[in-house]
Amino acid sequence: MICDDSRIYLPAYLDDELDVSDSLRVQQHLANCQDCQQTQEHQLVLRSALRDPDLRGYPSADFSKRVEAAVRRAAKEEARARHSSRFEFLQFEPARWMAAAAVLLLVTTVGTFLVTSSLRTSNQQLIASAVLAGHIRSLQPNHLIDVPSSDRHTVKPWFQGRLDFSPPVPDLSELGWTLVGGRLDYVDGRAVAVIVYQRRMHNINVFLWPNHDATEDVIWQEEAQGYQILHWNGAEMTYWVVSDLNHAELLEFARALRGH
Amino acid sequence: MTPQEKLRRFEEQISPHLKPAYNLAKWLTRSHEDAEDIVQDAFLRAFSAFESYRGDDAQPQNAKAWLLTIVRNTSMTWLKRNRNAGAKLCFEGALDDPRKRSPDPEEILLISCDREEVRQALEQLPLDFREAIVLREMEGLSYREISVAIGVPLGTVMSRLSRGRDWLRRILSTQGRLNPKEGAGLR
Repeated sequence: MICDDSRIYLPAYLDDELDVSDSLRVQQHLANCQDCQQTQEHQLVLRSALRDPDLRGYPSADFSKRVEAAVRRAAKEEARARHSSRFEFLQFEPARWMAAAAVLLLVTTVGTFLVTSSLRTSNQQLIASAVLAGHIRSLQPNHLIDVPSSDRHTVKPWFQGRLDFSPPVPDLSELGWTLVGGRLDYVDGRAVAVIVYQRRMHNINVFLWPNHDATEDVIWQEEAQGYQILHWNGAEMTYWVVSDLNHAELLEFARALRGH
Repeated sequence: MTPQEKLRRFEEQISPHLKPAYNLAKWLTRSHEDAEDIVQDAFLRAFSAFESYRGDDAQPQNAKAWLLTIVRNTSMTWLKRNRNAGAKLCFEGALDDPRKRSPDPEEILLISCDREEVRQALEQLPLDFREAIVLREMEGLSYREISVAIGVPLGTVMSRLSRGRDWLRRILSTQGRLNPKEGAGLR
């Protein structure tokens, strides 16, 4: 190994990130090269200087309390959203108990056939509450859009390098849906694209990410906390649409988006 | 996972990393107020994505790397949005080759350990290099974790760390400070 190589490998060597054979080669070179030994010493001095606790930034004294309170508020909101979307019909319309009982009977009868689909539904409920929380969070000032633009040629490239996929950003303005921008969000354990459209000041958040099952299906619908949630799997992407727009119009939007 | 269970596990696994989260945001934005806003926003994003986080008690480091990835992305979004407010984005090409400006390694006598000088040097390091150095030296992330957090290949992480440290080392060299003309001028 020559000095130039050693200088490239030395940091990884000191970080213990080299494999055994490269490590040995650096060690052998160090044993015979004073220049590189000195470089190593300097690296070690620099490392301890950078690890000095006083170099770190420290938040305000009450900061952790503030963040804790914010997280607990979000947890409460989420619990409420989940509760109301799952059990609304039990609380307000006892007549539907009959329907529920009938469904229950059916489920127990059909039994195993439904196990897979009900598992899928519970995962869908989790994602539904996550996208709903994302939508509500986006309504706070400055949270809606990372890239504000009505030009799809600005919004689409913005996601490059931020996501491992390229989300389709169709122009639906002729149908009366204005593109207002896009942002990154986190749903179901991954960074996802959010495309934001508007009609009459109603924001529509479209969450999307690659659909690995690659099976297309029908539009799934739910209402929670006054918001409409639509979901479907396209040939390439999984879509979640959330808005406070009325159900009929949002369905029209979903069909327009889907048809594109 | 019930909502109570989720909150309990989040507070157990993620909340302890609040200080590293703040430290990263502070070094990326160089602003105390912005760092606190970013960290709070990142915590809310992390909480809503927490169901999908697959970590366990045996690997607490994973939780930290997972959170720091979100803090890093939130910071980058903030920096890009506030580009005009004085936050300068520097990309890889912007790092001057210090070999042109400072003595060869064998001529460096000593490197400065003065905390203020180290702080200034790190603050001047272009963003791409600074984030790699902070994640590695201050937060102790592995190369692989850094590569995931920044979204660049492992080789790029190695090269940024190596070039970043080399630059800092030369900037902080005593010889450089004694010879300001040909020494480690900060551009």
